[in-house]
Amino acid sequence: MSKTHAIIASFPDTPSLYHAAEKVRDAGYKKWDTYSSFPVHGMPAAQGQPRSKVPIFTFCGGLTGFSIGLSIVWFMNFFDYPLIVGGKPFFSPVFPFPIMYELTILLSAFGTLGGMFITNLLPQHYNPFFESDTFLEVAGDRLLIAIEARDSKFDAQNTRQFLESIGGTDIEEITA
Amino acid sequence: MNTDGSQAYGKKVGSIALLIGLFFTVLAGYGFYQGWQTGDARPMMSWLIGVAFWMSIAIGMLFITQIWHVFHARWPTIIRRQCEHGFSAFPILFVLFIPLLLVPFLHENPGLLWKWMNGVNELPGHGTVGEDPIFTWKQPYLNIGFFTARAVGVFVTFILIAGLLRKWSFDTDTSGDINNTHKARRLSSIGLFICAGAATIGAIDWFKSLEYHWFSTMYGVWFFAASMRAALATILILSVILAARGYLQGILKQSHRYDIGCMMLAFTVFWAYISFSQYFLIYNANIPEETFWYNIREKNGWWPISMCLIFGHFLIPFLILLWYKTKVVIWRSVAISCWILVFHTIDLYWNIVPGKIPADNAYGYTVRPFTVEIFDIAAIIGFGGLCIWGFCRSMNKAEPIPVRDPNIENSLNYIE
Repeated sequence: MSKTHAIIASFPDTPSLYHAAEKVRDAGYKKWDTYSSFPVHGMPAAQGQPRSKVPIFTFCGGLTGFSIGLSIVWFMNFFDYPLIVGGKPFFSPVFPFPIMYELTILLSAFGTLGGMFITNLLPQHYNPFFESDTFLEVAGDRLLIAIEARDSKFDAQNTRQFLESIGGTDIEEITA
Repeated sequence: MNTDGSQAYGKKVGSIALLIGLFFTVLAGYGFYQGWQTGDARPMMSWLIGVAFWMSIAIGMLFITQIWHVFHARWPTIIRRQCEHGFSAFPILFVLFIPLLLVPFLHENPGLLWKWMNGVNELPGHGTVGEDPIFTWKQPYLNIGFFTARAVGVFVTFILIAGLLRKWSFDTDTSGDINNTHKARRLSSIGLFICAGAATIGAIDWFKSLEYHWFSTMYGVWFFAASMRAALATILILSVILAARGYLQGILKQSHRYDIGCMMLAFTVFWAYISFSQYFLIYNANIPEETFWYNIREKNGWWPISMCLIFGHFLIPFLILLWYKTKVVIWRSVAISCWILVFHTIDLYWNIVPGKIPADNAYGYTVRPFTVEIFDIAAIIGFGGLCIWGFCRSMNKAEPIPVRDPNIENSLNYIE
């Protein structure tokens, strides 16, 4: 037999989804999410999500780019093959600045993209949610809350009742 | 909301600011008088620094207000009103600028502050100003009559555009007329170009022409960037004060502060980009007519100040502003705003004060050293007091926030 992956509940409109999300958050669930086809302002706060970790990746990427820019110019123009150009010193932080700057931008963009993939656990080609037709309707006008079975507070019976009590309809168990 | 209470409070602050302002302006005026008598340009520069500091804040507020109008920005509507109160500083600053405009007409050495105004002024290593080919070439632009006309024109432009925007916005409070918003938007679309021109002329005339040999096409943009930074820092401090003690209590949200913080970060980068590009082009081209300007800023105590600008005005605020917490935790955002304002002042010093003074040594000149004079501080505090008085006086003339503006609801309910 397949085991339960998650329980999903639908909500009629955005405000009820928003307030239901606050209740799920206050009930202490951790492994859960809301699904809608459009962004809902203030939802991260209603879900009690911490700030994204992506800026850390961006910063590390930028710092790496800056140091690489600095060191390649130092290595090429000062260490490996010193060349006098326009009477300028072999190495100075001034003239290679465009290189350091561009590499900072480039690698922080890569860091952001990579960080987004890593924190979102992408790419993910299969998810048990895709088996549910109700879930696929999120692409249209359905608003969902899904509480996953790997949550420590999850209990098939209690969680179903809890979702009902906060106004969820079309409650469905998704198996994996 | 207790509007009457905060109005009375505003009046009290205004009167105190006026008293302090007058006292310190008189002190700065004494310095000005001394400089006039002894023929010393330094106290005049104190006066110029004082005007420039508050001028840059007012100009930045004018720019940001117009940018908000042009982009139909909804979130800053409640903050826009505070900028409109800030516009009342323009006429005050014009009056304060007049003494500097009188120097070329009334002083025995017309070129006391701007040395090109007197043909017999000595140029280190080049004879006198009158014999200088670069000056002869630039004379159609750099002459006292045109200079005065430009200065008056620049101030009149700012006063007019700011006055119209202010008038229309205040009128919306009572009439609720949507046309005011449209008119403000139309004026801003052309006004941004006019103000960009005016600010560039101002920066070139008042600061750059102090060393008129120098060329830089980026100078106007530098002044714009510096003004925006100063204005955003001031707007943030101002809104936080008004939210703590005045009429923005419960209205100013974290999201408003966060967005101002983001713009502070953006303009920190922009200032660095412009300042560095200016340096970088001159460094690479290596032409003596241009490099001397940076060269004198490495001498006579200016080297640490230059480094101070790189690290204190760019790197440290940049790294701190990257951090989300800086933009949302009130005391941190106020602290970084104060930091930016302090270094903005140093930036103005760095642009205004160093200059070649003829001297008897191998170079033929020395550089006017970096000093913080009592009159500098007096001018900054004094003119600030007068500007704050103007702000408080303006506060009583309109609603605390534009209550009938079409975008007010979007601003009140704004979420990041």
